[in-house]
Amino acid sequence: MSAIKVFTKGLYAQNPVFKQALGLCPTLAVTNSVQNGIGMGLAATFVLVGSNVLVSLIRKAVPAKIRIPIYIVIIASFVTVVDLSMAGYFPVLHKALGIFVPLIVVNCIILGRAEAFAGKNSVGLSFLDGLGMGLGFTMALLILGTIRELLGNGSFFGVPVTGASFEPMLIMILPPGAFLTIGFVMAFFKWLENRKASHV
Amino acid sequence: MKDMLKLGGLLLLITVIAATALAAVYKVTKPRILEQKRLVLERALILALPDADKTAIVPVKKDDKVLYYRGYANPDTSKFVGYAFVAYGQGYSSVIETMVGVDSTGKIIGLKVMSQMETPGLGSRIEEVKYGEKTPWFQDQFHNRNAAKLAVDKDGGKIQSITGATISSRALTKSIVAGYKILKKEISRN
Amino acid sequence: MEIRMLFIISISAIFINNFIFSRFLGLCPYIGVSKQLDSAVGMGAAVIFVMTLASTVTWLVYTYLLLPAQTNLFYHLFALKEPPDLTFLKTIAFILIIASLVQFVEMVIQKVSPALYKSLGIYLPLITTNCAILGVTLLNIDENYRFIEAIVNGFAAGVGFTLALFLMAGIREKLDLADVPKAMQGIPIAFITAGLMAIAFLGFSGLKLGM
Repeated sequence: MSAIKVFTKGLYAQNPVFKQALGLCPTLAVTNSVQNGIGMGLAATFVLVGSNVLVSLIRKAVPAKIRIPIYIVIIASFVTVVDLSMAGYFPVLHKALGIFVPLIVVNCIILGRAEAFAGKNSVGLSFLDGLGMGLGFTMALLILGTIRELLGNGSFFGVPVTGASFEPMLIMILPPGAFLTIGFVMAFFKWLENRKASHV
Repeated sequence: MKDMLKLGGLLLLITVIAATALAAVYKVTKPRILEQKRLVLERALILALPDADKTAIVPVKKDDKVLYYRGYANPDTSKFVGYAFVAYGQGYSSVIETMVGVDSTGKIIGLKVMSQMETPGLGSRIEEVKYGEKTPWFQDQFHNRNAAKLAVDKDGGKIQSITGATISSRALTKSIVAGYKILKKEISRN
Repeated sequence: MEIRMLFIISISAIFINNFIFSRFLGLCPYIGVSKQLDSAVGMGAAVIFVMTLASTVTWLVYTYLLLPAQTNLFYHLFALKEPPDLTFLKTIAFILIIASLVQFVEMVIQKVSPALYKSLGIYLPLITTNCAILGVTLLNIDENYRFIEAIVNGFAAGVGFTLALFLMAGIREKLDLADVPKAMQGIPIAFITAGLMAIAFLGFSGLKLGM
């Protein structure tokens, strides 16, 4: 697989959220605004890139039997770094994301990439893979956050855009809206795929 | 068995390395985190006691616990402006924490919600700043009112509650009345 | 008073702040294992068990090892000048505790009851990365729960998760027979269903429990 493909597959073809249905909890929980979605996406990307690179670096020295606990320790360390730095430099975002910052540890995307990719590939490729998957995750959060904030609050990034004639559908920023939005967006991607398949 | 010990030892070693690295990160970030917490408090105090000098807001403590603050207009603490206290109210989905400033007659001179996790779009509008405005409209209503006699419109008072979020509006309003009562008791005790 | 508080915590964890419908915790297994009622039972039981256990152990570790207070064991053990602040190790400690607990439980069940192992066994490894488990242990700390409250919260959160899993599995078994548009089949329709159920659960959030 070419380096470019390693990077781009995470964006669409193997998008962790829409195609693999991974990392769903933060995806739904924090996307009631665009800002929270992007904050979570970038935090997870940082952890993903960091853990991918480190796992790849030590992949030859790690005994197969205890690789998973070692991966978990590495991931948890990066998450703690993000958690502490966010609390120190972006306290508002840190508060809004709440326990979903430490919960990046159990985001299946990250352990999944360590196990499926970084443990077997070179540092450079692992970096690209982590970055691609991370940005794909961020993009998914951005899409959901945009839809939910626009419909649920009539705004984008906190700036009102729809005007007074549009009565925001509050349900969209409440929990049910998260489920409905991701359901329809996933169906849309599936529909696109089906259409492409039937054309070939 | 020997193999297991070896693996366990390796895992322990890695954990210790990780913990040490994190300790270093924590050492750097901890002062920042504490500073952020202090800033939140300081900003709230400035908004609660707008006429007070920043350096002349003195906490009144009992066993290391801050009961309330006394604010003065000048650093030598000769001209008293008012008291500030933190009001806690159980809202819809969180505890709403508000810093409230009152003068010696009980008139509210400023307030700032410090912490709340109410429903986005409903209860969290207690902090909503309308686009183009600078201050949150819901909290602005409290200015110059008597802290002992506050009530939302649904309870026959003058505070216009947020549509669809009566519980949060009422929680904030009632927490101020209750907090002021405690403040008066503490003041008379000292 | 104590009993009342525990009751409030339980109701709130099961219905008002249901882990699936309101907190969004544990969605991966929720979508993955809710296709049949049988597997939902197994997963639910495993989650309740591990959540209760994890709440107990993590609370003790946090309070007696990590928290900088007079009760810190390191403080007494090494005769330190002041209690060490190890709270930054919370995430790493909790996830390791959960991972080892799951391993341990798996071993014990395998020895004690092979029959139970057969029905629960395959769900246990999945639990380590179930964010509901780590989530409940972190919430216990965030909410400043006392020991008993933390245990009850862990148990009740597991019950709430299982309830959501049951409801969903019941619906999805029927859904298999329904005529669903091709693009909506599988996960998308499961999410839409969950959304509609979340609307119903939203009704619980109006419940005002006197503190």
